[in-house]
Amino acid sequence: MSKELFFKTQYEPDENGHFGEFGGRYVPELLMPVLIELEQAYKKAIQDESFLADIKKVFKNFVGRPTPLHYANNLSDELGGARIYLKNEGQAHTGAHKINHCVGQALLAKRMGKKRIIAETGAGQHGIAAATVAAKFGFSCTVHMGAVDAKRQAPNVFWMQQLGAEVKIVEHGTKTLKDAVTSALQDWIGDPAESYYLLGSALGPHPYPMMVRDFQSIIGIEVSEQIQEYIGENKKPDYLVACVGGGSNAIGLFNAFLDDPEVHMIGVEAGGRDVTKPGEHATRLANNSKVGVIDGYKSYFLQDDQGNVESTHSISAGLDYAGIGPEHAYLHSVGRVEYTSVSDEEARAAFTKLSRSEGIIPALESAHAVAHALKLAPELSSDKNIVVNISGRGDKDLFIVNEKLNAKINN
Amino acid sequence: MPRSITEQIKLAKQENRMALMTHVVMGYPSLEDTRQRVLLMVQAGVDIIELQLPFSDPLADGPIITVANQTAVKNGVTIKQCMDLATELSSQVEIPLQWVGYYNTVFNYGIEKFIKDSRRAGIQAFTFPDLPIDEEPYEHFFELASLAGIPVIQLVSLITPVERLKEINKLAHSYIYCVARFGVTGTDSKMSDEIVSYLQKVRKYVTVPLAVGFGISQPQHIRDLRDSADVVVVGSALLNLSLPELKDQIQTLCAAL
Ligand SMILES: Cc1ncc(COP(=O)(O)O)c(C=O)c1O
Repeated sequence: MSKELFFKTQYEPDENGHFGEFGGRYVPELLMPVLIELEQAYKKAIQDESFLADIKKVFKNFVGRPTPLHYANNLSDELGGARIYLKNEGQAHTGAHKINHCVGQALLAKRMGKKRIIAETGAGQHGIAAATVAAKFGFSCTVHMGAVDAKRQAPNVFWMQQLGAEVKIVEHGTKTLKDAVTSALQDWIGDPAESYYLLGSALGPHPYPMMVRDFQSIIGIEVSEQIQEYIGENKKPDYLVACVGGGSNAIGLFNAFLDDPEVHMIGVEAGGRDVTKPGEHATRLANNSKVGVIDGYKSYFLQDDQGNVESTHSISAGLDYAGIGPEHAYLHSVGRVEYTSVSDEEARAAFTKLSRSEGIIPALESAHAVAHALKLAPELSSDKNIVVNISGRGDKDLFIVNEKLNAKINN
Repeated sequence: MPRSITEQIKLAKQENRMALMTHVVMGYPSLEDTRQRVLLMVQAGVDIIELQLPFSDPLADGPIITVANQTAVKNGVTIKQCMDLATELSSQVEIPLQWVGYYNTVFNYGIEKFIKDSRRAGIQAFTFPDLPIDEEPYEHFFELASLAGIPVIQLVSLITPVERLKEINKLAHSYIYCVARFGVTGTDSKMSDEIVSYLQKVRKYVTVPLAVGFGISQPQHIRDLRDSADVVVVGSALLNLSLPELKDQIQTLCAAL
């Protein structure tokens, strides 16, 4: 029997959203009643069978779920170790896993009678998915995006606007995801009654990390069924590998297996250009950053010695963030999940490799997970298997990859 | 030496007026400017000054204060420098100075050390808007601060339910800060229409003086609040005034108290 959405594991948060010492709700008083209302609405919705039925219907008919789990035979043969399977979230509508938590939250916002959706976006993938569900389910939509991100992901800005969203470009701070998050929270503080803040990853104040995780858990539920076709009935994968920005695609893959100790899990962070230099990477857990309280939750954050958020760098906008979801911080602290990083260079090589050997062009974020799998597979025997989450497809990264590849040729 | 906030509010009461609280961002545009600004505010007749500890991601603040915070951070202002400046100012003024900021600054500095150093610097209260009462059982910050004799100011908003108001009041010291409109700090919006009925509701459940802030910039705003607030807070509206403008503006505001 496979699990049903909204199942519980031994790693649940307490009633105030604390996963061990991480998580919580560190927000201004203006947001507390709103977050409490949201939590209550969510708890009520998941008790209601029609909510689950609605989600499943939209997942199937609109998103196109289940997404395929595909055996990467060429890649596995070439590497000569463990068998690699690819969970292709790039085939979900809008091209990434982000649509999963957008559908769930939009259906919840509808039940709550909200009129407007507010979202933040880094790569633009979450913004596109939020604008998509806003169009589909009848909300107006404001997407906050840092000016730097808007420039490097210009096609996504255009598509969000085509979907009817207003894109609010954030011109202060580092003009990236962290400033977009702050700006979106400020927007919400200004209009708490009518608007729903549709958060784009498994982070932020409670109940978001739990809620986003629950909607994303469909990924792991599907994998647990699909893998049996390849490795036999009731068999579990040996390794799960996913990239970790805020942590939504990774927790979505991991959650259904957290209580199976034989399943190893690896989260891959962005090593950027140099993991030893502040501002040159975005590895929070693999590099022992400091615990802090920022953007409404307690977790590991890249900070300077005064506790200010440090700037980050990654070739992939979706991993370019100083914080990480509190459940990941917790899973790291108790040793349940291993966290590692790969560099920009390795991610780029994996991007090309997967495209050529499997005919799948991954998002640069997902290419980080692939890059780690390329290292891991040859170390394991051929009776082992690895499931890699391809969290999104690479279309959006055309200009980044092209520019970098060009620069390389010109050098 | 600064008076306590409670004493200062009492003094204003005796003069049959509200108290005026103003705000600076430490190190914006420079620490020297902050020093002059605070002394000028004192001279011009302010009752309480909020000294904001600069932070990179000030999520409860609007664009004006956000930019000020980020500028101070970029200038490399440290919390130690803020402590030193507060120590110097405390030795020169009689009105209370208090910290306002974001909890990560405290957490990063070390909670106990932060409280000890603030006490030594003569700080009379703390306001950390991103530390709601619900996190106190995990952080014990209110408890440690009040053991050291520094009150932590509680905030309430237009949508805080009555049950929550009562809970917040239990932890209140010196005054409760009412966020007088939806939204973040800033000067653009008019005073909320709901404000008077809201303040009357709050008063029923609150046993300490009330401060009202967020969005106050005009003498008329202050006059409107006369029957419902004990302290009025003016922040963003003063932040980018030159020193001579600042003095004039504060005197105008004081006349409306
Ligand atoms: C394709 C893709 N993968 C991964 C991420 C990283 O986010 P998360 O860690 O929440 O899955 C993003 C974020 O934009 C993304 O677009």
